[in-house]
Amino acid sequence: MAAAMATTAAAAAEEAVVALDKETLMLMGCGDAPPAAPCAEWETFKENVRPLKRGRNVGLLNRALKAHADPAQRAALLAARRKMIEAIDEYSGEDPLQPWIDCIKWVQESFPTGGDCSGLVVIYEQCVRAFWHDDRYKNDLRYLKVWLEYAGNCADSEVIFRFLEANQIGQSHTNYYLSYASVMESKNKLKKANEIFNLGIARKAKPVEKLETTYRAFLQRSSKKKAHPEDDTTTDDHPVRNFGTVLNRGEIRGQHAENSHLVKTLQRVDVNRPLAVYTDENSLPSHGLARTRSNNTAWQTLGSQADRNKENNMRPAKWTSHKIPQKVGSRAAVQPTRVSSIEVFVDDECAEEPVPQVPKSTKPSILKLRQATSRNLKQETELLMENPLRNFPLTSLR
Amino acid sequence: MASRTASKDIITLRGSAAIVSEFFGYAANSILYNRGVYPEESFTKVKKYGLTMLLTQDEGVKTFIANLNTQLSEWLEAGKLQRIVLVIMSKATSEVLERWNFSIQTDPEVVDKGVIKEKSDKEIMREIQAIMRQVASCITYLPCLDEPCIFDVLAYTDMDVAVPFTWVESDAKLIENPQMVKLHSFDTKIHKVDTLVSYKVDEWDEE
Repeated sequence: MAAAMATTAAAAAEEAVVALDKETLMLMGCGDAPPAAPCAEWETFKENVRPLKRGRNVGLLNRALKAHADPAQRAALLAARRKMIEAIDEYSGEDPLQPWIDCIKWVQESFPTGGDCSGLVVIYEQCVRAFWHDDRYKNDLRYLKVWLEYAGNCADSEVIFRFLEANQIGQSHTNYYLSYASVMESKNKLKKANEIFNLGIARKAKPVEKLETTYRAFLQRSSKKKAHPEDDTTTDDHPVRNFGTVLNRGEIRGQHAENSHLVKTLQRVDVNRPLAVYTDENSLPSHGLARTRSNNTAWQTLGSQADRNKENNMRPAKWTSHKIPQKVGSRAAVQPTRVSSIEVFVDDECAEEPVPQVPKSTKPSILKLRQATSRNLKQETELLMENPLRNFPLTSLR
Repeated sequence: MASRTASKDIITLRGSAAIVSEFFGYAANSILYNRGVYPEESFTKVKKYGLTMLLTQDEGVKTFIANLNTQLSEWLEAGKLQRIVLVIMSKATSEVLERWNFSIQTDPEVVDKGVIKEKSDKEIMREIQAIMRQVASCITYLPCLDEPCIFDVLAYTDMDVAVPFTWVESDAKLIENPQMVKLHSFDTKIHKVDTLVSYKVDEWDEE
């Protein structure tokens, strides 16, 4: 990140009369918060803490890290999370997004290591799904930030940005265009990133100054990349790839002659006999690929529904009636094992979690969250990371 | 018969001032690197305090820090420096985002009477090392600086100090409702340096 250096330094005279600032009070050990211990938890567990874009409250961070080390306190944290989720369900005010944000903030602070056990990805997803069709929040910065944090946790966030655009969510905020362009730039789709910046500037996204400043920095970076074209890859969605080396027959023969002594020792092949090289009839050098795309009509039609569904037309039969032939005595070698000898391993955190008796709720998403255990939270998190819009209706992308 | 000379780790006022000003130079470089104020390719690795430290190769910053160190040494030797603060601000809005506060307590007896103190270099180095490690691991709690930033240095001096030609009087550049983290301190027995970082935590409804 390029930045200018301040050209002047400053000498500030400290007067005894002036009320002491918070920093001075803390250094003297009489501030609001007690000074951090010489070996505070944040320092001991620094590798395990997931940085937050907005920063962390160190007091809360230390408390949370201490709690995760103690099983009893950890159980209390899980119970508190359940209460936070219930509070969302019970909220009846004018801003139903606020309890979700309070819950997200709390989980981020209380589960600083992140990961699947925090349930954060599931909470993000259920929050964004609860309000995606609500006009009140289309241009609410808080709601957009939840979407952007969700996008940051997904394997491929491009689908999320397309969804937001299709549903006109957060389009008046600079943050949307900055995040989208950043994702495109990281994929080396510089042309697309450039379009996104221009779109944001044309729509006068707020604050436009921030967008313009970042755009200028982007242009500098992309011009550097153009100056070194060997680093630049194609911006197409489906890059033209050439697997292996395309050699003509003469080159192969030349190579073979050069390496003949190796071939003789390793393979005992007659050097004089020409090596048979299989040539695919349809193969073309990579530069001709664009031509074949337009000329090749083999897949112009996909066939009728019946054609495509032919594998599923087989009559179902009773599968238990089929006997699998087995060799006689094949089981004799296998010692019968007693079921009781296999001990099932249970994670500590799963063992500690009591199965919650949850009353029926009208909101299935909330219900899922309240009943969640570490195991199914992990599973749901993985599924959402792979396909962030899996629980949205197919029509939502228009 | 072999004789043995016992050596003591003696620290003078000038030596202590040199240690503190050098520490500030390395700390400033480390902060500028770790907080991404300057691009990482503009830094080079050096061995210092038993750690791999990063020093800027930007000529402007190098000159700035060198001049700063000269001035700090002068004030430290005179016992006139109370605090030095490295401020990181938004380039676009000049909003103060972070303050790295190095509070200095000087032993008045040493300044007035020229008393010599004792402390091993190894011990001082170990204390400085702990601070440098904390600076490097500050990403654990500090917010992401995702906009171009500039830095400034504030020196809190005694009232009777004349403002040098290259310096100007300034306001304190404080952060409203800051989050604060007290880091380790080091002590040369003449100068005790306490370190603290204060920063602004973003809210959800802020651009």
